[in-house]
Amino acid sequence: MKAPIVAAILVSFFLVHRASAHRLDEYLQATTIDIGKSRLVLEIRLTPGVDVFSKVMARIDTNRDRLISEAEQRDYSDEVLHDLSLSIDGKQLPLRLTSLTFPKIEQMKEGLGEIVFDYEAPVPSGIERRKILFENHHQNAISVYLANCLFPKDPDIRITAQNRNYEQTVYRVDYTQAIAPATAIASSSGSSVRNWLIADAIILLPSLAILWQRRRRVIQKDTAGVRPNAI
Amino acid sequence: MNALAKRTLWILPILALLCTSLRADTPQAATARIVAAANAFLATLDESQKKHVMYAFDDEKQRATWSNLPTSMVPRGGIKMGDLNEAQRSAALALVASALSQRGFEKVQQIMQGDELLKHNDRDARMFGKNLFYISILGTPSERSAWMLQFGGHHLALNITVSGENGILTPSLTGAQPALYQLNGKTVRPLGAESDKAFALLNALDGGQRKRAVLSFRMADLVLGPGQDGKTIQPEGLKASDMNEKQRAMLVDLISEWVNIAPDTFAAPRMAEIKSALDDTWFAWSGPDKAEEGKNIRAYFRVQGPKLVIEYAPQNLGGDPTLHVHTMYRDPTNDYGRGNNKQ
Repeated sequence: MKAPIVAAILVSFFLVHRASAHRLDEYLQATTIDIGKSRLVLEIRLTPGVDVFSKVMARIDTNRDRLISEAEQRDYSDEVLHDLSLSIDGKQLPLRLTSLTFPKIEQMKEGLGEIVFDYEAPVPSGIERRKILFENHHQNAISVYLANCLFPKDPDIRITAQNRNYEQTVYRVDYTQAIAPATAIASSSGSSVRNWLIADAIILLPSLAILWQRRRRVIQKDTAGVRPNAI
Repeated sequence: MNALAKRTLWILPILALLCTSLRADTPQAATARIVAAANAFLATLDESQKKHVMYAFDDEKQRATWSNLPTSMVPRGGIKMGDLNEAQRSAALALVASALSQRGFEKVQQIMQGDELLKHNDRDARMFGKNLFYISILGTPSERSAWMLQFGGHHLALNITVSGENGILTPSLTGAQPALYQLNGKTVRPLGAESDKAFALLNALDGGQRKRAVLSFRMADLVLGPGQDGKTIQPEGLKASDMNEKQRAMLVDLISEWVNIAPDTFAAPRMAEIKSALDDTWFAWSGPDKAEEGKNIRAYFRVQGPKLVIEYAPQNLGGDPTLHVHTMYRDPTNDYGRGNNKQ
């Protein structure tokens, strides 16, 4: 910083607080839900603030060796999973962990580390109007939450309402899902098969009748001892 | 280098800006001007510095290497201002100025100035200050094929894709800390207009509209901030189709605070695109609906349309959230110009 700029800066610092560039006293837990016809995909990003790092770390580093082993990572993902709940139309859905990522401990200490868990759950086939209820109560004494749905990639799925409590620990999503086309295809394909069978029968039956008549005549002639064109 | 020469070098970006603002550019002229500024900057660098600045256009890692955080926490690619000599720094800033509007460059300077204050206040030159802003170029500056200029540091990430006549500013992050300070006896609020215009729009809504616009839950941070490329969330709040003409004009004016960071030749088609989908654009607010005169709001807000996501999130990081703001500007259909530049 040289003279031309520095000289111009006659700054009063009365409003400048001590800088906090990183998350401090909160454990940010941000969830996105991707709704598909056959499955729900959840991504949860957890960022412990500097001041709550030790509380979060205590739950992860259970053997207190200041390292996060793979077993501890999986145990922590199980613990988080235990504090989550996901249901559709009132029926509980089993969440399956599909991937997990842990940052370096140094990053977490500085409030920069993001733990990421990806889960998925199968969606049972159902009615056109559906309701998802997601709850996250993991370490809620120190946490702040974000819960959102990704804009559905499937054009048959349309989110119609989203409701949350103030803390966003409880998140309800109403959506519609066009299931008619699949049924319509099934029923139309069924009826078309029927139509083809009937058409085939209409064509085949007279032919079969003619063949049966000819065969009958041959048998009658054979029975009479007359062999046409016999040498 | 004598003092006069130094002063002249600092004036170069300002002159570049004045030329931009005085001239009604065609898109081709705007692109030509940015390319010329990029080549002029590159010509000031030695080979080793060029290697630090230049990346392949398809370098996805570098493309996504931006953040709101200080560069000591999230290292950026490129070369930092502190590693450039006066002439090189002047050329770098002239390049940034050439790719922005006058107000856009002013905003960038105010954000950098805020970080300089943090450096003095915290006495931490490793984490804050104007010297810690980085510049990088992805691809080869060209008037025809796509290339990209990145400039950023703490609270700033400009990702400018230039592709022939098109200039795309998304995704870009602007933030400020302190988001209000005194300089030369004047109060500076780098993101003050964003705050004031959103607050004015909220207050222009009637009871029913307000009920739909104000979310009943707390928004603790940006949803689609750094690292969230490629995601689009379900919009919420009040739709512009349910606003009257005055309110819609206020919404457009609010959006222009981000769109008009780009020069007019690039901002005008972008704004036309946003206006064409205005009916499907939503405004949502979360947090206190009161603000002190001359200060920033404490509330989060989001403007979201089919080709637009804007988020404004005061940061409750142990201090006054009106003094620490993060904002995000995205086009879910064309971040990094991907909609225009299918590789």
